[in-house]
Amino acid sequence: MVKVEELKNEVKRILKEGKVKYTIGYERDTNGLLPKPAFIKKAEEADKLIWDPTCVYNLTRFLVDEKRKKAKEKNPDQRPVGLVIKGCDSRAVVVLLQEKFINRGDIYLIGVSCENTGVVDERKLQKKLKGKKVEKIEFGEKDNFIIITSEGKVEIPASEILAERCLECKANFPLISDVLLGEKSKRKSDNPFKSLEKIESLSAEERWAFWKAELDKCIRCYACRSVCPMCYCDECVVDTINFAVTADTTAEEKAQKIKWLEKSPASSENFVYHMVRAIHLAGRCIDCGECERVCPLDIPLRFLNKYLEKQAKELFGYEPGSDPEQPSLVACFKDEDPQDFIR
Amino acid sequence: MAEEFEPKIVAFLCKWCSSAGSDLAGVSRMEYPPNVVPITVMCSGSVSPLYIFSAFNRGADGVLVSGCHPGDCHYIKGNYYARRRIALVKKLLEYVGLEPERFRMSWVSAAEGTKYTQIIKDFVKEIKPLGPQKKLRRD
Amino acid sequence: MEKILEKKSLPKWLRKLSSYKIYAPAKEGELWNFKLIDNPESVQLDFSQTALSPKKIIFPQREVLLEFNSNEDGVEVRETLPDEKPSVIFGVRPCDARAIILTDKVFSGDFEDPYYWRRRKSTALIGLACTPPPSLNCFCLSVEGSPHSKDGLDILMTDLGDRYFLESLTEKGNELIKAGKELFQEPKVADKKDVEKIWAESEKKIKRQVKELKKIPAKLKGMFESPFWDEESLSCIRCGICTYLCPTCHCFDINDEILSSSPLKGERVRNWDNCQFPDFTMHSSGHNPRPDRASRLRQRIFHKFQYFVERFENYQCTGCGRCVSKCPVRIDIIEVLDKVRDYGS
Repeated sequence: MVKVEELKNEVKRILKEGKVKYTIGYERDTNGLLPKPAFIKKAEEADKLIWDPTCVYNLTRFLVDEKRKKAKEKNPDQRPVGLVIKGCDSRAVVVLLQEKFINRGDIYLIGVSCENTGVVDERKLQKKLKGKKVEKIEFGEKDNFIIITSEGKVEIPASEILAERCLECKANFPLISDVLLGEKSKRKSDNPFKSLEKIESLSAEERWAFWKAELDKCIRCYACRSVCPMCYCDECVVDTINFAVTADTTAEEKAQKIKWLEKSPASSENFVYHMVRAIHLAGRCIDCGECERVCPLDIPLRFLNKYLEKQAKELFGYEPGSDPEQPSLVACFKDEDPQDFIR
Repeated sequence: MAEEFEPKIVAFLCKWCSSAGSDLAGVSRMEYPPNVVPITVMCSGSVSPLYIFSAFNRGADGVLVSGCHPGDCHYIKGNYYARRRIALVKKLLEYVGLEPERFRMSWVSAAEGTKYTQIIKDFVKEIKPLGPQKKLRRD
Repeated sequence: MEKILEKKSLPKWLRKLSSYKIYAPAKEGELWNFKLIDNPESVQLDFSQTALSPKKIIFPQREVLLEFNSNEDGVEVRETLPDEKPSVIFGVRPCDARAIILTDKVFSGDFEDPYYWRRRKSTALIGLACTPPPSLNCFCLSVEGSPHSKDGLDILMTDLGDRYFLESLTEKGNELIKAGKELFQEPKVADKKDVEKIWAESEKKIKRQVKELKKIPAKLKGMFESPFWDEESLSCIRCGICTYLCPTCHCFDINDEILSSSPLKGERVRNWDNCQFPDFTMHSSGHNPRPDRASRLRQRIFHKFQYFVERFENYQCTGCGRCVSKCPVRIDIIEVLDKVRDYGS
């Protein structure tokens, strides 16, 4: 079991020794179940840090902000940033390293193992507790979660309230880290794409009806894009404004900027947005599940990206986030790549 | 008299092989359906998934991507990257429920004028009964 | 006018209102959202909070303003005003109704927005008092609202268990009740006492509050250049959820959507816009006056609690709590306001 004290001490140590600029971790939010991202700059503040099943977020996303901030500064602090990561988050870090978006020296990774459980799904938990207010959740000794509500303690087997992606977990401890807390326990995962079976068994027309019903709900808030660590483009294809515009950009250049999508949430535009995002994440999405968690309209976005993850594995034998030295999925090819669909 | 539905096909043809192949078909006066809007690209590897989604979004009933045979790419490796990328796009479009017949890829060399005309003939014949593409089209 | 309606008679009343377009909350998966109702039997009002507020019925996210196409004589432009078929929205929470009143102020004044007002004038709002509070993050009492506020509503309904207590507040409300007259009963004195009790208890159930909100507009004035905003916005991922879910936010963008360039055919469309998006204030020169998250968070707080107060003498917030519940990184407007009030002391 991961001891929170070890986590706090490690963070205090690296801050006191000046090894990192600041550390990103999780802290308690007094007004809700899920934590807040914590930016610890001084060793004393490290006592705020927590580690429990509510630590759902993928904090890798904040490395993108850090890089942007550094780019704007004249004499940036070159020390690394400390980051508390889970197994799934570490695969996001691997993808960023693979794409040379960040250097290994820019980050100091404090890995935490989920061991045999994982993180909680807020909605599943609320359903189980039928409205009781949750004050705290802790990891139990026997692969269960101890939920402390306003009415006392409840113990629930983790598998009943785990986040969907945890049920198909491929990496319950970080693949890369500078320090690893917790056990590197073996995790059984016989069918990593089980959740797709239901949709894949539908006919094409039924699948169309399913996706149309879901994507028509989309209000194009772009939360899915904003929370994804892999969506780090300064200039997204969906935004019709060109961020690389400077004072020297001519009017003609600006007029030639192609508008791929309309801004309005019409059904066809929503489809193109989500499909473009899915294809840009092919071989890069590591299923941290954040896109689905943040969607205010509960659109099952994981299924869109997961399907391409499955194709990457089955057609090309590619697993995203497994090796920082491997090239990206679409930047390499094999002679044996399937071409039965090509005439 | 009701007009018969004529599908609009957008074809991304690589300049060095497929586009030349379609030119050969034209110069040799081979007959094939006029439903194709050809767009010459430098290499099939330069065809971005955005072009394909955009073609369907703007009302294309079918999209064809055609390049050089493996090993013959003018830029050595472009068509290998295309093979991977287009495979993913095809799988995604099918997953979302678009009819698989609407999106095709082919290898057509500069000497294969006949093959090109056959591809287009078959394409038009097979998607005519499907009717206009309404799923991804902007209204 | 005050009436009692048995819950089982609600679908019968809705059927009497067949000449109206009826909107009510409907469940989609785990979420509730306002939908156009075809089947009055399906209306259930035992929901807590809808994901999106009813603002989207009166002020849709995508609205076509005009259509244009070219013909032999030149370019023809056709205005596409919304139709004026009367609508009724059932189950409006008092905070969402107050939000509509605030939005009314923005769309009137020097220019009365015809698209907004056509829908607004033909829509009746039937509210449902909040017993218990729809969200753990409700704070309507702090922003001059209440779980049984009547602002903006044509009828306020209060749930008494097996029946509703209705209070009609406008002519429109009276007409709606008249349409189903035999379905209603006169309330007894006991009913009225129950309603008063429920209303008083509902106020006690609102757990969250911003103390001394009155001090904040003046305090904000001195905080424009403060580094406070950099600290508070550190975890903001500039997603846009807070703004799109807010019942009072109303910024919009107008775009021309071209369907074909020759012959020219297209539409001028108004869409919701979002001040938390990085390109919201992007100028065509490339300069962006709000280039970072700090300035955008500052803008959000200032607009709601300073600029709007100066202009319209109301807070541009009705305490629905959606932004607090749905923020992916738990940036909490109530905490931010508390910190603003105590800043520097």
